[in-house]
Amino acid sequence: MADSSRRADTVTLTIDGHEVNVPKGTSLLHAAETLGIEVPHYCYHPGLSAPAQCRICLVEVEGAPKLQPSCVTMAQDGQVVHTESPSAKRMRQGVLEFYLVNHPLDCPICDMSGECKLQDYVFDEGREQGRAREPKRVFGRDDFGGDVLYYGDRCVMCTRCVRFMDEVAHDARLTVVERGDRAVIDTFFESGLDDASFAGNVVDICPVGALVSKDFLHKARAWDLDHTPSICPNCSQGCNIDLHARDNLVQRLKPRENQEVNGHWMCDYGRANYEWINRAGRIESPGVGRSGKRRAADWQTALGALLDRLRESEGAGVRIVGSPLASNEALGTLHRLGRAVGTVTESVFRCRRTEDEDPLPGFPLLVRRRDLAPNVDGAGILGFERAGSDDATGGLGAAASHDGILVVLGDQLGDQPEDFGADASLYVYLGTFDSPAARNADFVLPVTTFAEEDGTFVNAQGRVQRFEQGLQAPGSARPAWLVLGALLAALEGGNPPGSAADAFAALAAEYAAFAGLSHDAIGTAGAVPEPAHA
Amino acid sequence: MSDVPFRNPGWAGNTGEFDLSEADVRGTAYAGERPLDGGHPSTSASYPFMLVARNPGAPLFEGPYQERFEKIRGRYPTARAALLPALNLAQEVRGHVSPETMDEVAALLGLSSAYVRGVATFYTMYNKRPVGRFLIQVCTNISCNLCGADEVLAAFLKHTDTELGDTSADGNFTVVEAECLAACGFPTCVQINERYFEDVAAGDVPDILRRLTDELKGD
Repeated sequence: MADSSRRADTVTLTIDGHEVNVPKGTSLLHAAETLGIEVPHYCYHPGLSAPAQCRICLVEVEGAPKLQPSCVTMAQDGQVVHTESPSAKRMRQGVLEFYLVNHPLDCPICDMSGECKLQDYVFDEGREQGRAREPKRVFGRDDFGGDVLYYGDRCVMCTRCVRFMDEVAHDARLTVVERGDRAVIDTFFESGLDDASFAGNVVDICPVGALVSKDFLHKARAWDLDHTPSICPNCSQGCNIDLHARDNLVQRLKPRENQEVNGHWMCDYGRANYEWINRAGRIESPGVGRSGKRRAADWQTALGALLDRLRESEGAGVRIVGSPLASNEALGTLHRLGRAVGTVTESVFRCRRTEDEDPLPGFPLLVRRRDLAPNVDGAGILGFERAGSDDATGGLGAAASHDGILVVLGDQLGDQPEDFGADASLYVYLGTFDSPAARNADFVLPVTTFAEEDGTFVNAQGRVQRFEQGLQAPGSARPAWLVLGALLAALEGGNPPGSAADAFAALAAEYAAFAGLSHDAIGTAGAVPEPAHA
Repeated sequence: MSDVPFRNPGWAGNTGEFDLSEADVRGTAYAGERPLDGGHPSTSASYPFMLVARNPGAPLFEGPYQERFEKIRGRYPTARAALLPALNLAQEVRGHVSPETMDEVAALLGLSSAYVRGVATFYTMYNKRPVGRFLIQVCTNISCNLCGADEVLAAFLKHTDTELGDTSADGNFTVVEAECLAACGFPTCVQINERYFEDVAAGDVPDILRRLTDELKGD
């Protein structure tokens, strides 16, 4: 071959007329993917073993007597592969016709409709009319427990779910029961999936509408959902997720692949806890004045008045109560503001913790962590200390009776008394919900949740990960970094941050742990900071 | 035995005498005298025959059956490989493979219960429900079907007064359909416990049932 520099650990083959060079041991399906050619497949999933049983990824390989399953056939030097040859297409059409023999074609009421692989493939390449004239067999549906509902009639028997539970969850609870056209997926009789903490993933990997989420059942059509790359806010693992939102409400969380953090998976605890993001009754406009005297104000008035008060009390002791649900940008800018105004004597956060971790045995990187908040490590880097007990109560005694400047960000103070902060010379509450403990605040400023802003979290691995805005903020709530950054710029001079990336850049300049990082560098996959140079 | 000599519906190669036993056909060393512990490990896994006397409540596995189970387990490299013969043995002891039996076998072999259920339900020769003393399997596959298997099946159901798959009130008969019994030259073929009845016509059914009932009385 002319290309003498070709390394021995790669092979060059031709797929549909395009030459491609891939590492040895790459499957044809993967090699085609690098060329942007999607070979249809059901049983193959990149996170699982490949049994080559769905028979729809068969491709023509020149010289091979029969069509080859591309998911398990390894690329070889000089191979010539055709994924769109007449024989491959005829075969796919035939296989799809068989898949539809007993499929109910209930797409109009199926949750998977719009993201269903059977729908896609049949639409692309299927026959216009099936030839089966026999009545379809009917199974109905089976509640597997947990969040999983099984529609036997829609199943294509790819066994991804069976293999996930066996190979990744190491808890082989699902199996194929019976044989032939009576075959269904089931657990051991009534045992179900109730206490399996990663079972929700079988809904994600089901290529058709056979396994659906009970929580999401008939809630939204797939094509109505806006997908936003985000970070799961429910523990410090920081699984990469997509927020699926409709009508400015999060409808479900889906894992987003990141082999360094969560693979293709996420835990059921994280998946189930999203309703709090949609909770109504938020603080929607800034408020000025303590308890009974509080009145609504626009941002300019409120921040102007706050700025005056901050200038008056310059040099005072500052106590900060942060939150592990707040972004690095918010917490970092808050800390910088505190230091610009006076002396930060205490900066704390409170976080709910569980007794145990919950690892995913087949993907050891993924652990449902003890800290049930996304940015515990970021808060630590930015100088916040853990306070209070494991149910995120108590620990604020010093702050409650502090007589200097008191700033609360994100913590709802649900357990704190009505006289919280009564002695403070200046008490600023930046939050999402009003509470009795916020009534003494001189300024109540509405801020956004992680779903309504851009920003970053640091997960338990020390990985800095970005999330993007998926929802519109209620009323005039603004990201905390924007509010705090504007105050800081007014106090110290300079330009206020125009974006979360600007706010992060200011942190990167100041904190060694973020040195060299930027929103662009973090990207969608996250980044681990380089160890600081001595 | 009834007064009327039983008419042989036609054993392959038999010239008229019906009274061939399992032992006559296969030799006592193979089946009749087979020790409960399975004998030599090389044969311990094979399925000898259906026992007419079964005890659904019998423990898994005790005494000689325990020895046989250990021989089976030792004969295969993995627990999965030993699952089929282990289920055979459980069915031999208990007559059918109940959910509890699947669970127990799973625990004995260190497999997941769901996996054992998947395997047990895949194979039709495992009885998932209790069966009668005689399990009557009527072949309804092509050759037999062309030669009247449907009528034979209907006759068995009528004369035993059961539905397909159910057990008669006296606990003697369970009638099921079978796919090919590999006796296509002698349709309709019916397997009753370990015995084959060949060239069975619908009219032969009362005689066959009477003979089976007589055998039970003779015990």
